[in-house]
Amino acid sequence: MDIFIQLVVNGLLLGGTLAIISVGLTLIFGIVRVVNFAHGEFLMVGMYAVYLLYKYSGMHPYVAVLPAIVILFIGGALMQRFIIQPLLSADPHIQIFATVGVSTALLNLALLVFGADVFSVKLNDVSSSTLKLGSLTVVSGQLITFCVSIVLMLLLNWFLHSTYLGRAVRATAQHRYAAQLMGVNVERIYIFAFGLGCACLGLASGLLLPQYPVFPTVGSFFVLTAFVIVVLGGLGSLSGAFLGSMIIGLVDSLAGYYIAPDLKEVVYFLIFIGILIVRPTGLLGLGRGSE
Amino acid sequence: MKLKHILGAMTLALVGVTGVASAQNTVRLGALYPFSGGLALLGDESFRGFELAVEKRNAEGGLLGKKIQVFKSDAVDANQAVGSARRLISVDKVQAIFGSYASSISFAATQVSEKEGIPYFELGAISDPITERGYEYIFRSNPTSKGFADRTIDVINEIIAPGLKVKPSDLRIAIIHEDALYGTTVAKYQIEAAKKAGLNVVEVLPYSAKAVDLSSMILRLKGSKVDVVLQTSYQNDTVLFFRQMKEADFKPRAVIGAGGGYSTQDTVNAVGANNMHGVFDIDFTQYLTNEAGAPGLGAFIKAYEAKYGIPPRSGHSLANYAGAMMFFDAIQKAGSMDPKKIREAVLALDIPMGQTPTGWGAKFDKSGQNTRGLPSVMQWLDGKLTTVYPKEAAVAAPVVGQVGK
Repeated sequence: MDIFIQLVVNGLLLGGTLAIISVGLTLIFGIVRVVNFAHGEFLMVGMYAVYLLYKYSGMHPYVAVLPAIVILFIGGALMQRFIIQPLLSADPHIQIFATVGVSTALLNLALLVFGADVFSVKLNDVSSSTLKLGSLTVVSGQLITFCVSIVLMLLLNWFLHSTYLGRAVRATAQHRYAAQLMGVNVERIYIFAFGLGCACLGLASGLLLPQYPVFPTVGSFFVLTAFVIVVLGGLGSLSGAFLGSMIIGLVDSLAGYYIAPDLKEVVYFLIFIGILIVRPTGLLGLGRGSE
Repeated sequence: MKLKHILGAMTLALVGVTGVASAQNTVRLGALYPFSGGLALLGDESFRGFELAVEKRNAEGGLLGKKIQVFKSDAVDANQAVGSARRLISVDKVQAIFGSYASSISFAATQVSEKEGIPYFELGAISDPITERGYEYIFRSNPTSKGFADRTIDVINEIIAPGLKVKPSDLRIAIIHEDALYGTTVAKYQIEAAKKAGLNVVEVLPYSAKAVDLSSMILRLKGSKVDVVLQTSYQNDTVLFFRQMKEADFKPRAVIGAGGGYSTQDTVNAVGANNMHGVFDIDFTQYLTNEAGAPGLGAFIKAYEAKYGIPPRSGHSLANYAGAMMFFDAIQKAGSMDPKKIREAVLALDIPMGQTPTGWGAKFDKSGQNTRGLPSVMQWLDGKLTTVYPKEAAVAAPVVGQVGK
């Protein structure tokens, strides 16, 4: 029983980490309607930014989150403005190729600048220590990440429902032409939404760095799972992404123990396919009416 | 008619060129390595070893009384390896090829050389089947994955069990490995060797090298009360394993890695020297090795530093250097570049263990595999990868029963 509880806790904490990354992806996916294959590379850029800030100015990764958010917001906004926007009316395939191109370019740029070496930060504080609660062990950094992911969800939810900008974002997501007719500047909303989605990665970078080393391909470790989560939860649905993250985290943890570590992906893809057969728009997807 | 004349003239010209090549007073050797692409760093490091061996040989009067002329050829993957091997043989007219660091490249290139009857000297690829295809002219100086696996079991039988004062069969052993070709191959041989030695393997757990969470696997190891963990892994999964092992408070009595992520300085930097203290690693001979068991090691390091201005970046250059020297001796004894005579001379080599710069001996079986090319056993001690076995090559006594301090 102890082990089962430990596995559930580990799974939920992993889910928290995945949630922050997936929420950003689902925002871009759901609002701009672009499958951003460079999402993982933006995470990598964020982690390098946090690492450099830590190394050269001694900034704690949790503090370096703030500049990382700004950097990634600007990076995402620029990508939307100068790469995606000119292609908005083009075939969706072209947009996908463009994001794949950005992903390849960023990856190789990192290889060029930093090499394939692995960098990590060494901290002996709350971000990397372990808490013992009876027979349970919990990594406090992961617990913090989990809490931050919940706060992020609540904040984004409040923002999207209770501010003018948020409502405009939702309107654009529901129907871009109708939104335009209601006086929403759709292009600007897209730029903002892309930036916001990437800014979530800035938050993730700082929280991840005390636990995971950074190297050029680090993004690919997380981003495939994030895609699964986003489709599972329903494109563009924040709570769907959160729910999806928790499900995948739990499956990852439980299947890794009770079945086999190399089969856990098989298990979550089976669940994924099963859910899509029953609900093609994902768990909390908007349904067939949406654009 | 005209066309026939032209063709005739071309044939004559070709014959002429071949005639010139064979009458030259250099020995033409091909060097086939990945010089660009993702494998380039260690491919180049491997080539440096070969290059130093050639320079040393040339300074000592060359091979068969002639200077060695090296033709470099880049092979980033299996496809390019085929083309490169063809070009080396038909355009550069090399008489033997040396290579190739990566197993996939070696597989492809040797198919070409074998068909042409050109000897291929493999100095670094570890996949076993390379020499298991019944080829006549492939010779390999370095250890294979089976050698790696056998050595891990030796470590349990000869170092860990005696050190802990228990019977080897009383130790509970877990084999964990990344689930692609490298991990799967080594693990397969480890399971075989463990069974043969009568060891008690309680868990075999493959995982994806791209996993971001290994905590459930570690809980399973902890639940099975594992004493010795054998891991075959790359860098990131090694780092993740050590971090989460510490978080889960899992303390096996020994951890043994099979090269890969266990041999790089990056890993120990990321994991922390204290956390990796006492961890065993099986790999090609590294540099903190006692020269008594590896004569010529010091001279190699000196020559390397003189030529490239930095200390060797990994054990690959040393392995290529020692292998090339071994084969140069065989060619010298063969007395000509005739492939049949070279094969006889290689199979007749008989160098006891501990007589080459890597500490390997030389005794080739019919498949062309060096049966005395065995990996060394190293241990991370205070952040340094230190050779602890075999005894002659050891610079420190192994520390048993301690993982992390």
